[in-house]
Amino acid sequence: MSDKPEKLITDDGLRLDGRHADEIRPMKIEIGVLSRADGSCYLEWGRNKILVGVFGPREAHPRRSQRADTAVIRYKYNMASFSVEDRARPGPSRRSIEISKVSREAFEPVIMAELFPKTAIDIFVEVLQADAGTRTAAINASSIALADAGIPMKGLVTSCAFGKVDGQIVLDLNKEEDNHGEADFPVAMTQDGEITLLQMDGNLTPDEIRKGFELVRKGCKEILEIQQAVLRKKFETPVEEPEAEVTEEAEETELEVVETEPSLEYAPEAALVDEIIEEAKEPEEELSEETVEACAVNEEAPECEKVEEIIKDAEAEVVEGEALKEVIETEIKEEEAEEEAFEDEAEFESAFEASFEEVPEPEELEEPEFEETVSEDETEVESEIKELADEEAQPEVETQLEKEKAEVEEESQLEQEIQLEEEVQPEEEVQPEEELKPEEEVQPEEEVQPEEEVQPEEKTRTEEIVSKETFESEPEIESEAESRTEALEKTVEEPEEKCKGPWKVVKDPSESGSRGENDE
Amino acid sequence: MSEVIATLKKDYIYNLMIKGKRQDGRGFKDFRDLKLETNVISKAEGSAKVTLGDTQVLVGVKLQPGTPFPDSQDEGVIITNLELNPIASPEFEPGPPREEAIEMARVVDRGIREAGAIDIKKLCISVGESVWIVYIDVHVLNDDGNVIDASCLAAIAALMTTVVPNEQQGIGADVPLAMKEMPVGVTLAKIGSKLMVDPSLDEEAVCETKLTVVSSSDGSIAGMQKMGPAPFTEAEVLEAIDMACEKAAELRELYLEELVKKE
Repeated sequence: MSDKPEKLITDDGLRLDGRHADEIRPMKIEIGVLSRADGSCYLEWGRNKILVGVFGPREAHPRRSQRADTAVIRYKYNMASFSVEDRARPGPSRRSIEISKVSREAFEPVIMAELFPKTAIDIFVEVLQADAGTRTAAINASSIALADAGIPMKGLVTSCAFGKVDGQIVLDLNKEEDNHGEADFPVAMTQDGEITLLQMDGNLTPDEIRKGFELVRKGCKEILEIQQAVLRKKFETPVEEPEAEVTEEAEETELEVVETEPSLEYAPEAALVDEIIEEAKEPEEELSEETVEACAVNEEAPECEKVEEIIKDAEAEVVEGEALKEVIETEIKEEEAEEEAFEDEAEFESAFEASFEEVPEPEELEEPEFEETVSEDETEVESEIKELADEEAQPEVETQLEKEKAEVEEESQLEQEIQLEEEVQPEEEVQPEEELKPEEEVQPEEEVQPEEEVQPEEKTRTEEIVSKETFESEPEIESEAESRTEALEKTVEEPEEKCKGPWKVVKDPSESGSRGENDE
Repeated sequence: MSEVIATLKKDYIYNLMIKGKRQDGRGFKDFRDLKLETNVISKAEGSAKVTLGDTQVLVGVKLQPGTPFPDSQDEGVIITNLELNPIASPEFEPGPPREEAIEMARVVDRGIREAGAIDIKKLCISVGESVWIVYIDVHVLNDDGNVIDASCLAAIAALMTTVVPNEQQGIGADVPLAMKEMPVGVTLAKIGSKLMVDPSLDEEAVCETKLTVVSSSDGSIAGMQKMGPAPFTEAEVLEAIDMACEKAAELRELYLEELVKKE
């Protein structure tokens, strides 16, 4: 305390390191940095340097630590002796044991350990350099490492601390603020905002805690975006090792499912971006996958009955969707006549590739042309479908659709493009999925298999039927029908998501375009 | 702690919870019978025993002179240890403390430290050379649930009855340990969607997760810790804070204010 600076927050409201009260320190994440670990992550957050390796699921030793019904999750937080000012004594300290325990508990709600009975999932955290907030940094890094290892999770865990400094509630304390501040309040939460780690020491009133929660929610949202960007970046390039892809597939799809909810709540931007990307790539299939996974998850829960009901409804809608298909097909035929000029698929593909190459990171990927086309196509089809079938479309979407319709000029072009896409897809059916998936969803060839496995039988049937029946132009329609069924399911399960579901693409065409780029 | 509990019992407790009841007839905001005795160990500088239902916790406080930490040369040192004695439960084994014990010890310690319960400036014997080190040793004698709250209460009560043995060191007369605050920890167990205070052993085994809130007499929070694998929502945390503050004020008034008067 003797060397406490006079002020930790300057008169202009900035902190000693120049941050605002609600700002987190800069974070850098590298994924897959350890070749022997199943998953790994190196994270720098401010001056913190954290390395995490994940092993497993692997046989649990000693054997008495095995559990017959679930995997054992083991989390070991360890500080390097040189990580702090005064050399730390090597080996576990009481502090590190406590942190290990609460951090493990932070992950237990999201890791689907029940899939791997009698095994152990080991998370080893090495703090190479400590500068306040190491446990939160370690949790953020562990999330990525677990994803990298392909451990099935219901979502990413993000962690961030708030505290009180000079009487003010601030986000993400640095070392000086931690040493001289009045309170420290680390929190970890799932993507839908459930708190999985909560500790606190210091002195706070309940009102200050309320305020702090708001900051933490904002901080965790930002961190989640960084985490997702890192995962996308890694998996948007074709992955040579199928295992890694598979692992990430499960995680990402799960993540995405969870993401839609929180993102909307937290920051419409993030949510939209994620959703758009997913939809732009393969809106139909993606949605279906998500819903399927969601259903699979729910099957275990008492909601199964609801799901079944939903599926029935969905089937009914599929019939409607087929009717719509016919209409659409007629339209498509008309469009095909116009397509002749656009038949240069090669150009299209090259444009795609160029967009991908240009946009290594999702944020940078903003190329309106291709994306817009995709989004518009989707919107058009959706709008058509909506018109044909009186569904529960939300007013916002409809208005947007109408606006888009106003843009009829582009529509014709878009339709042509759509047709081109359709043509391309049938030819490269496997390829586009792989390309798209690895980037954002990271689902390679294996995608189809897991989907079928995971999906309830009824859904798979509908999809298969559709696929058989669908021609080049039809797949979209089918997908829409599926998406609708999915949307319905979602609505039944969670009414809020309905709006978000298939229609999200329509909302922000510009963003959707960016997503499309990201995808590929 | 993690005793095997029959599925039937679990269902029973859940069904009771849905009806707003508990196994032993308490309300969600009721503690079990609580008894606090102080000065139970005369060899210790301060001591207290808390009996909460069938849970028994004994805390002894010892003071010894020692060297201060380099970054706080005029302040006394607080060291808290918690032992889950094998005598307290068939689940406990001899040996180095398990992570639950370490966690609970650190939660008790954090509450006392962060609330500023002890005036540690007054524990300085000579700056930079010698200060009093306060050892707070928590012995769990019988675990029938909610050891953490019993430990928090016993620890603060023991400290309030502690005498600084100045005479023994030849530095003046013995004086009571200077106290500034009375932090009280209250743990809420989450069963289903409900929060309840003072979980019994069965409730602890059934509950998804627990949140311990240590609050000071002005209603501010000095420490919190989530223990257990299941998540909380933000609303539940805020509700838990309110319930814990309310119960802590009650406990403080019923048991600790009395000790102040005695002195």
